[in-house]
Amino acid sequence: MLFELLSKRYPGMRQWLTQRLSALVLAGYIVLFIGLIVIKQPASFTQWTDFFQPTWWRVLTLVFFTNLLIHAWLGVGNVLKDYIFNVKLRVYVQMLVEMLVAVELVWMVKILWRM
Amino acid sequence: MSNSAIKRKPRKNRPKNLNLFSIRFPVNAVVSILHRASGMALFAILPVVLLGFQASLASQQSFDALVVSMQAPYAKVIFILLAWAFFHHFFAGFRHLGMDAHMMTDLPQARFTSRIVMALGVIATLIFAYVIW
Repeated sequence: MLFELLSKRYPGMRQWLTQRLSALVLAGYIVLFIGLIVIKQPASFTQWTDFFQPTWWRVLTLVFFTNLLIHAWLGVGNVLKDYIFNVKLRVYVQMLVEMLVAVELVWMVKILWRM
Repeated sequence: MSNSAIKRKPRKNRPKNLNLFSIRFPVNAVVSILHRASGMALFAILPVVLLGFQASLASQQSFDALVVSMQAPYAKVIFILLAWAFFHHFFAGFRHLGMDAHMMTDLPQARFTSRIVMALGVIATLIFAYVIW
């Protein structure tokens, strides 16, 4: 039953679950992030760059950010469906959001790996 | 079956009230709409956050400039507003996850958790404001 609901026939169910699983990833990273900031208290530029030096932490940050963008993409999409009734306009706005999300993902990779 | 219920004509002049300012929203509705609004606000501010994050890691000069600009009082007010948007979204999100798992779904329970969410959002924001000021 559950697997059938998550098949391609019910895209809404997949989005619903994706929205919630990504929320859990976001919450986990944010709690970890606040904890590490409180413990390490990076105050200077060197301490701050050291904080983002370990590869595992950069990868985890990118995983977090990817989940954030997926979460936001689904969330904004739901809000657009509720408030923009003109289908053509909504598809256009949704496309702009998706382009912005894609740019932000590339941008984050460039920031984290100083490219 | 009662005849009077069938024969009664539908009332065409039912009172309409579209003035949102005269309606008192129940606390659950307030938490829900603020969850949406805060989510949209956080998404809207994301490019600015990325700009700041980029400046913080790019060089000593850009780091220093960012620190100076972040210490302006108006900047701190914006941070506090955004912190509230984040904390509310965070706690209200946990509430929604709990309700998806059929936890605390009775009306009195839902009202209770709504008040808890509102309170936690404000308390966390006050702590954040205290730390940054």
